[in-house]
Amino acid sequence: MKYGLWLLLVLWPMAGLANEAGLAELLGRIRYNGSAEFSYQETRKLELSSSPWNGRGMMLSGVDGSLIKLQLQPMRVIMVSTEQRMYYWDPEQQQRHSALIAQAGAAGEEITLFRSIIQGHTEQLQSTYNFTHQVHGKAWTLRMTPKPGLNDESAPTIEISGNEDDSKQQVLIRQADGESTEYLMVKTAEGPEVEKSIRRLLLEAIGD
Amino acid sequence: MDAFSAKLVVKLAQIEGVENVWAANEPPREWIDAIRTYAPYYARLFSLNPRQDGSALFDPDKLGSRAEGLKQALLSPQGGFVKAIAKQDSLLLSLNGFKDMQNQFQRQANLNSGGGALILQSRPAALDSDAHLRLQAAIRASFDSLNQSAGEKFRLSMAGVPVFSVAAQTEISRDVTLVSVASSVAVTLVFLLLFRSFSALHWVMMVQAASFVLGTLATALVFGYVHSLTLALGASLIGICTDYPIHVMVHCAKHRHPPLDAVRLLWPSLAMGGLTTIIGYAALGLTGFPGFEQIAVFALFSIFASLALTRWVLPALLAKSTLHSAHLPGIAAWAGFCGRHRRGLLSLFATGVILAFFTLPQLRWMDDMQKLAMDMDQLKQQDEAVRSHFSSIEPGRFVLVQADDIETALRRSEAVERRLIMLKQTGILSEYHGLFPWLVSQDLQAENAKVYAQALTPQFQEAWRAGLVKADLSLDKLGRLPPPIAEPLRPETVLASPVRHILSGQIIEGQNGAVLAIWLGEHDPVKLAEGLAGLEGTRYFSQKDQLDQLAGQYRDRSLLMLAIGIAVMGLFILLQQRNIRKVVLTLLPSVASVLFIFAIWSLMGEEVSFLHVIGLLLSVSLCVDYGIFFMDNRGENSDVTYHGIAASTLTTLASFGALGLGKTPTLPILALSVSLGVTLGFLLCPLLIQKPTR
Repeated sequence: MKYGLWLLLVLWPMAGLANEAGLAELLGRIRYNGSAEFSYQETRKLELSSSPWNGRGMMLSGVDGSLIKLQLQPMRVIMVSTEQRMYYWDPEQQQRHSALIAQAGAAGEEITLFRSIIQGHTEQLQSTYNFTHQVHGKAWTLRMTPKPGLNDESAPTIEISGNEDDSKQQVLIRQADGESTEYLMVKTAEGPEVEKSIRRLLLEAIGD
Repeated sequence: MDAFSAKLVVKLAQIEGVENVWAANEPPREWIDAIRTYAPYYARLFSLNPRQDGSALFDPDKLGSRAEGLKQALLSPQGGFVKAIAKQDSLLLSLNGFKDMQNQFQRQANLNSGGGALILQSRPAALDSDAHLRLQAAIRASFDSLNQSAGEKFRLSMAGVPVFSVAAQTEISRDVTLVSVASSVAVTLVFLLLFRSFSALHWVMMVQAASFVLGTLATALVFGYVHSLTLALGASLIGICTDYPIHVMVHCAKHRHPPLDAVRLLWPSLAMGGLTTIIGYAALGLTGFPGFEQIAVFALFSIFASLALTRWVLPALLAKSTLHSAHLPGIAAWAGFCGRHRRGLLSLFATGVILAFFTLPQLRWMDDMQKLAMDMDQLKQQDEAVRSHFSSIEPGRFVLVQADDIETALRRSEAVERRLIMLKQTGILSEYHGLFPWLVSQDLQAENAKVYAQALTPQFQEAWRAGLVKADLSLDKLGRLPPPIAEPLRPETVLASPVRHILSGQIIEGQNGAVLAIWLGEHDPVKLAEGLAGLEGTRYFSQKDQLDQLAGQYRDRSLLMLAIGIAVMGLFILLQQRNIRKVVLTLLPSVASVLFIFAIWSLMGEEVSFLHVIGLLLSVSLCVDYGIFFMDNRGENSDVTYHGIAASTLTTLASFGALGLGKTPTLPILALSVSLGVTLGFLLCPLLIQKPTR
């Protein structure tokens, strides 16, 4: 018994180190620095909706950090987030909006959070979120929960999961009010062609 | 640009005098948050024309697409904002009234696609130049520090009333310094040239300084503050007040009289001269032009102090001073010439008077007050350049709605807004900023509620529920359409919330009732004024028209004051002289100079403003002194008297001439009018007033 306790005390810090190393590796795996295109399926559970809403489309991430969500179904909608500004264009409803992210309040914060998650820049969230990860065989899960005492009761809980295939990821964002959004994402392309598409879609969203 | 603007917004928001700052193409967060607070009152403020709009808003056939629109809104980035409203107002009726605001920001976004236009709401009032001077310096410092780190890629331009008020204040301060220094130096030089005595200069300047201080103190006591222009014009008074010691000193020097004897001898003329000058300044104060009352009070006390000090203090001070009165070349010669050729010159004068009368109908009056404003072309161009990035709200033109109470004022402003909507549809007006739906009258709230309650039929409710089902929205949370909230949204509740910042400048509540302002975009002033005809308590206000109207009123009043001033001066001279001929002769040089100057302006095509008239009024009050001295001739030597008058004319020209250096148009106009008036009046004295003999 004494020997067991001693062993536990000796190995405990090493278990912590292994845990930190595993998290760093995981964060490195989900991070994108170049331009990439994903196809996605989205499932949203809204408080005011009677059943989950499903959408699908393409997500494009640029080298400059911009992120474009091109929803293709059930209707075409473009949502763009650049470093400073967000754009929204719904051709069917002819609704076009733009706003400075810094001045867009909760919507701006959500967009920033979403971009950090999708682009894997989770280090930006480490000041406000506690990170835990689990690995079961080839499957892994990264869970981010808001740090207590941050006075942001609306901050969501985020769960990113995947397996050995780094091109596929699942992202679950659970809002404090019970609403949730789940993305199933598959990387479909990388490189300069993606940048061209980003520029084209950005111009369309801006209305040029 | 966006990134830079965002950083600048954050930095500017930290400046002490900044109430709020935001990018012009999107509403500030406070506005969005404020809109959310209107959700419970959705049934009471959805439309300015509820009966007219109700049919479309409550059309059961459109409820399917309304529900689908709600679903899309909930899925959009603004979903959080929409959800908070939809939980209380599932039809999103409360947003209907704010649609125009959204459209305005959309237009603004098109104008400001670069994102460089910011709107800053300051805490100090727009005309608080001192506070705005500090604020603008802080804004520039914030911009410069950010721009430096951005590689000096950006340029800052500011527009708005405070920018002009600070520029005007700076110019006026410059004028005050320039005029004060130039006037003092000029009077000093003239004085030294005439009397060549530093000792006498020292004492006379002490007397003037004391008069100036007394005038300033009295003005501060009466008004609570002293305006910069009062000090600028006050500086010119030094030249006038110096006249009294000058007459004494000329007599001392020429007749070798002790100063006390000279003062006693000249005192009746000095007192009457001072009195007529005070009358002139009092008439100036009564023209009604803002600020001139202060100048009149300043003059009254300064002249009074100067006279009293000249009479009772100066003789003692000058007792040990040696005075050398310079012989001014041409003075005796002109007086002699007038004496020798009196008949011919008088004929010429009479012909001149008749011709001058004929030219008067051609006199051009300046009816555009803007021409009297400071030349700020560069600032105006900058203002236009900045405004081109904003959706147009015309500065200086708006609609004022007045009533005994806020409720009536709101009802009237809603009637105005209905008319303005029609004028927008006909293209007479591009846009406007009213108070609806931020503030809604109880009547309109009741009407909205009635239309809503009538529309709330079981069929309508069923159609809404069907729409929700089709859009996959929750029947539990959105399906119930409750009756209108019983309690109306009261103005005091709204104005106790952050909305008061949004409406600041549009509501003035006081003991005389409430005044509401509706800002206007580009418009046709005549057609807009016609379009608002017949609306009770409503007035289309154009600052330019108002100023032009005021210019006319001031002109008429200054002409009246000129006539009254001359009449009162004549009355006082009559009381002293008890001889109507002497009164006429005393007044004639100054009145004739006014006539000739008007004739000259007529022939030159000069546009004459009320300021020109006020300048002439001042010249009359000064010239009449010359007439009094010349007529009294208490030294019994008209050559000495005329030398005294010449000396005081020179100091008056020196001090008023200095006003001509000012950039504020008021000052050069006064300089020209007074200088012309006193010069002509001085020259006419020996001609019109026969060489007195005793």
